[in-house]
Amino acid sequence: MRNSSWASMFRSPFVVIVSLVTLWFVATFLVFPNANLLISTFLPQGQFSFRAIDKLVSSERAMNSLWHSFALAATLAVTVNVVGIFIVLVTDYFKIRGARMLWLGYATTLIYGGIVLAAGYNFIYGRYGFVTNAVRNWFPEIDPNWFSGYFAVVVVMTLATTTNHMLFLGSSLAKIDYQTIEAARNMGASTMSILWRIVLPALRPMIFAVTVLTFLTGLGALTAPLVLGGTDFQTIAPMILTFSKSTGSRDLAALLAVILGLATIVLLAMMNRVEKSGVYFSVAKVATPLQKQRIPNRFANAAVHVAAYVLFVVYATPVLLIVLFSFLQSSAILTGSITWGDFTLDNYATVFGTPAVLRPFVVSVVYSALASAIVVGGMLFVSRVLQKHRNPVTTMLEYLLHIPWILPTILIALALVMTFDRPNAMVGGQVLTGTTSLLLIAYVIVKVPFTLRLLKAAFASVPESLEDAARILGAGSMFTLRKVLVPLILPTAAAITALNFNSLLDDYDAAVFLYHPLYQPLGVAIKASTEGENNVDSMSITFVYTVLLMIIMGFTMYLVYGRGGSSTRRRKRRAGTVTVK
Amino acid sequence: MIRFENVEVSFGEKIAIPDLNLEIEQGEFFTLLGPSGCGKTTALRTLAGFIEPSRGEIYIDGKVATRLPSEKRSVGMVFQNYALFPSMSVRENIAFGLRVRKTRKAETALLVDEIAAQVELTSEQLAKNVSELSGGQQQRVAIARALVLKPRILLLDEPLSNLDAKLRVQLREQLKNLQRELGITTVYVTHDQEEALTMSDRIAVFNHGVVEQVGTPEEIYNRSGTEFVCTFVGAMNRLSGDVVHQLRQRGGTGLAAAKTSYLRLEKVSLHAPTGATAAIRLDGVVAGRSYHGSHSTYTIDSHGSSIRALVPEGGGCPLEPGSAAQLYIDPSSVLQY
Repeated sequence: MRNSSWASMFRSPFVVIVSLVTLWFVATFLVFPNANLLISTFLPQGQFSFRAIDKLVSSERAMNSLWHSFALAATLAVTVNVVGIFIVLVTDYFKIRGARMLWLGYATTLIYGGIVLAAGYNFIYGRYGFVTNAVRNWFPEIDPNWFSGYFAVVVVMTLATTTNHMLFLGSSLAKIDYQTIEAARNMGASTMSILWRIVLPALRPMIFAVTVLTFLTGLGALTAPLVLGGTDFQTIAPMILTFSKSTGSRDLAALLAVILGLATIVLLAMMNRVEKSGVYFSVAKVATPLQKQRIPNRFANAAVHVAAYVLFVVYATPVLLIVLFSFLQSSAILTGSITWGDFTLDNYATVFGTPAVLRPFVVSVVYSALASAIVVGGMLFVSRVLQKHRNPVTTMLEYLLHIPWILPTILIALALVMTFDRPNAMVGGQVLTGTTSLLLIAYVIVKVPFTLRLLKAAFASVPESLEDAARILGAGSMFTLRKVLVPLILPTAAAITALNFNSLLDDYDAAVFLYHPLYQPLGVAIKASTEGENNVDSMSITFVYTVLLMIIMGFTMYLVYGRGGSSTRRRKRRAGTVTVK
Repeated sequence: MIRFENVEVSFGEKIAIPDLNLEIEQGEFFTLLGPSGCGKTTALRTLAGFIEPSRGEIYIDGKVATRLPSEKRSVGMVFQNYALFPSMSVRENIAFGLRVRKTRKAETALLVDEIAAQVELTSEQLAKNVSELSGGQQQRVAIARALVLKPRILLLDEPLSNLDAKLRVQLREQLKNLQRELGITTVYVTHDQEEALTMSDRIAVFNHGVVEQVGTPEEIYNRSGTEFVCTFVGAMNRLSGDVVHQLRQRGGTGLAAAKTSYLRLEKVSLHAPTGATAAIRLDGVVAGRSYHGSHSTYTIDSHGSSIRALVPEGGGCPLEPGSAAQLYIDPSSVLQY
């Protein structure tokens, strides 16, 4: 990265244009809406007021939601760690038979999550779910709402949130220097002692980081409490959604969103502090790759195997059932009894043959594709400018562009709704609330930090000498960008586009606040299908949507990680190291 | 041809080059030599136009070039890591500069083929991706890419440092021959003294951003202007006060007692020179011997100094550690600072 004065930075028309557009974007969509949210909460009539706080304290539902959210976050911090660490250990650390298959089962939450996962569990274990109906055929006295409330939310979110462990903790485990384990064994340490004294302490910073992420996920949970929480277990995010629907309680929604935002900022600051205190994976100059450990105690080994496979069944069953149910007649799902004659392709025919049914899918694909392309295209220029010119102006701009990272999506969405519900000079005097563009803008906003960070890292990884070489050969900055730099970072840009596309495809958090009634996205359609009793047909349609989403997401994940991963495996195999994934 | 006049280069508070004054002649192979962090690459990058000096001027062909963009200086550069564009083929890499200048396709192809032949790249290699080439071949591509635009000055930033020893020696000669053939003014940066001594017409030795000495390789080696140059270039014996005292007593009256004294290894003989000579004999004991194939290096303890001497292979019977030895030193070979 180079230092440059901002006077020299503005010599280039390219930099000037990019900077001005970025400043406008930051001011209009990142700073102004959130400042407006704070003002409307604490300065409703131009004067500081505690009215919103008073309303919050006197609202039993709101106070309950706050308590529920923190309780959920704290519970998840424990349950997700227990399950997540166990998963990482059985797939990456211990020698477990069929570890690769187990990993695939646990990884199913990589290709379906959020509203899709909550709806899937609801359709299987919920009041009208297949399993509930099947069991009630034999035991009619069982409460049909058994899978609801705190318990159901914790179970679903625990299973859904272990992806962070699989991705980040798994990667940290792989970085542990195997020689430290060999040294401990050489000094007589047992397998368990090595795990407790060497391995887990080395993973402590990452465990802390994923715990914070889990806590934040629990705190801001929207879809699981909404779909499975029932009337008794509502958390902050669904309350924000409820309160934001009425003008009279919007200040309460805003205050809850601010509390959520503050909690997020505090926790992320804590995480940052811990990260800065350093990680200690390996101090070796030549680290040795980790090799899988055998569990010497026969009974312990059998117990771990059994637990691993039970967990595999828990993870894989919903996915298999969703695929199976997508080929079943609705009546069979409802009654809980299946015969060969119930299998049909009608659900797929309905989705692909009825434009109105296919529409949410198309809407989500178009929104996700547009937002992913816009954010990557835009951040390509922004990250280039930020990476090349380092001065107070660019540093400030970079910090501001990270605002969406520290604010929950629902807060951003609410701020946008409340800011652009009247003509606004910063967007040419237009009203954006209720238009199709506001959801697109929100999608672009929430993807800015992730995209910027990875693209900037990609630019930084290009040796400076390549640019110098192009420059000395007479190439201008645009020509160098187009012909030298972009081809080099194109694979990264494509991967970021794919990941952004994936994560937006089944979004509910932003969509529920910002969608246009005529262009209902998939997340909203799936949520609607979980409501009421007459949802049998929409249940089948949702199963088809889910299968299609899983195919798209699975394919994208394979394109982004799979092919690179397989070449890494080949390289590692050649080097004679042991790998599982 | 090239002149640095009172050039100061600073990075924020840190001054990398305080006051550089240097002249490089037309067609000269000029080397900037020094240890890591001495400012030699900074000087080269300033000449290339990548760094703007905080003070002073740079002249190229008598014209001020200090603030001239690098692409307008008519300089070609070969980078330490070659900086080849990995998304392009060898041919596209070499043709990059021509493409920027919108040279016609037919002419571009002709010029690329010409320069490729000069640096001994085959047509098959031209079609390959740069990542498919060996280090030595990549280096040739980098040279070809720099030379195809026919620059007036060629800048080379440690271009051989990533190659193995044998290839380095081979390419060293080829590079020097190519430079001689083209007659192009070349500024070469290296920390390798052997490279500097074998390739250069003249050398500037850098230390902490300051040029300690400018001279031909012979001047730098045999008449090192400063203690730093003397110790940095080639291997040296540092003589103790007692050794200097002995030499002074036995005829080396020109030697000053208070100065620090050095003696090159090859200036120490373990055998009495034949014929008339000013060599002075000192007695010592063999402390060790290391074998290098073409020669051996003996370490002799004498009068408080461990003096090393080079003995060519076949230059007498090997002396065993612990045995007595005689050293013959010509006082005029002693360098004092």
